[in-house]
Amino acid sequence: MVNLEELSQAVIAGDIDAASELTEKALATSVPASEILNKGLVPGLQKVGDLFEAGEYFLPELIVSGDAVSQALELLAPLLGKEDAPYMGKYLIGTVQGDVHDLGKNIVIMMLQGNGWEVTDLGVDVSSEEFCAAVDQGDFQILGMSSLLTMTMPNAASTIEALKMAGLRDKVKIMVGGAPTTPEWAEKIGADAHAKDGPTAAKVAAALRGKS
Amino acid sequence: MRKLTGLERVLTALKLQEPDVVPHFERVAKKVREGILPGASEEDFVEYMDLDGIRFIDRTHSWSYETVDENKRIKRDQWGGLVRYTTEDNPVPIEPAIKSERDLDTYVLPDPDEEWRYEYLKQMVKRFKGERAIVVGVTDIFALGRENFLGDIGYFRAMVKNPDFINRANDILLNYQLRYMKNCIDLGTDIFWINGDWAMTEKPMVSREFTQRFLGPPFQKLVEYAHSRGVPCIKHTDGNIWPIYDIIIKAGADGLHPIDPMAGMDIGEAKAKFGDKVCLCGNVSCAFSLVSGTVEEVRQETKEVIRKAGKGGGLICMSSNSIHSGVKPENYVAMVKAIREFGQYPLSLD
Repeated sequence: MVNLEELSQAVIAGDIDAASELTEKALATSVPASEILNKGLVPGLQKVGDLFEAGEYFLPELIVSGDAVSQALELLAPLLGKEDAPYMGKYLIGTVQGDVHDLGKNIVIMMLQGNGWEVTDLGVDVSSEEFCAAVDQGDFQILGMSSLLTMTMPNAASTIEALKMAGLRDKVKIMVGGAPTTPEWAEKIGADAHAKDGPTAAKVAAALRGKS
Repeated sequence: MRKLTGLERVLTALKLQEPDVVPHFERVAKKVREGILPGASEEDFVEYMDLDGIRFIDRTHSWSYETVDENKRIKRDQWGGLVRYTTEDNPVPIEPAIKSERDLDTYVLPDPDEEWRYEYLKQMVKRFKGERAIVVGVTDIFALGRENFLGDIGYFRAMVKNPDFINRANDILLNYQLRYMKNCIDLGTDIFWINGDWAMTEKPMVSREFTQRFLGPPFQKLVEYAHSRGVPCIKHTDGNIWPIYDIIIKAGADGLHPIDPMAGMDIGEAKAKFGDKVCLCGNVSCAFSLVSGTVEEVRQETKEVIRKAGKGGGLICMSSNSIHSGVKPENYVAMVKAIREFGQYPLSLD
């Protein structure tokens, strides 16, 4: 019998091989994929987020822990649907127009994916029109917009306005984040929530889905 | 004191001494320049504003790019990766050059000795040499490796899983940058601006241990080479560098920019902690006051920066990153005027 706490520890250590082996062993002993995800991988990744926030982990540690989860998820993916495992939903993300920063956004994506989100990344320098078209054509529960510059923050606000004008605002919950952004600003521009970094984004997204 | 040239003023500050007035130079976005002196070239603008130096970056002035998809504005950079030009005309890496360590075995380094790379530098030397500081950007080995060569994710992953990969990549990039620097010095560079972020708003990108192991040594090699030729170096990094600033200083940086206020870096505290070891370059906020403040607010903030960090010299008063296109032209002018109003040595601001 595989101890799923060991799987969490492998994620925390960023041990990709151990995470995959333990996931395989758990599956071989008929542990449901949803249990492997929720009692092994997700708690591990949440602990990694806590260590990052506490200043003990940095970007390299986040990346390799994310790798460990991604590899394990590949093993679980074919089974998760069949077993009706908890699935967080679809998340659309991009960096607003005029802004070229994507490191923070990429960390957010990794944390979301590790926590059960299916993420579509529109990249950097995304216009209001591109955000609106993606929201219109997709089936997303949450739209996340990243802005690292004060000068590009108004473009998050104008995207929300554009979504309203197009009658799409109520189709998605909206999260915003990035270095100069604040919860107060998020509220002011009509976003539903604010997240300051990747680990926080995963928690906030879960809360918006009522799954925290 | 006699009136110094811009070059003398900047070099004096970098030696942690008092010049005649606090020096200032800055890269100014075209949109802002147009708001101040319509139609002027960057060089004419530098002269019009009587800036103490002119700075340009390798990424835009000496790297080659080859168009891959004109409609999508995608180009291949000289390292072999793909970049996409944004609406602000910045080339943003979208695909790294090196996908695995095996790619290094057959990697062909671009030639830093190609003459066209130095055309702009030659023009600047011809026009400004001896009068204004000619400040040449060199992309930091960590930034180059992370952004263009291995990609963010690949680089951070290799730091943990395959350190030799990082060391090999660093050696390749150092080879190029040191030859580039040699050529720049031969042609008349006064100062190097070693550009590349080591930190995020909250904290450094990597642990102190990794900073010492991977970031510090190649940076130190760039600085040591420049110093061997008598050329000082200013290190630029955004973010909260409180936990690692000593590594940058120990590596030999002469100046440190921008003492990022958005990351909680107070320039007065920086002056107290390491203002006797490195020239502080910053830090009027280009996130807030220069963008949305009034002229008077900019004037007061500039005065405050000089009051906190100017005493005894060792300050180049600049913005907290760059004069980007969101800065109000009148606010940039206000900053420059305030530097000249309040920055006369000996200071009398307390």
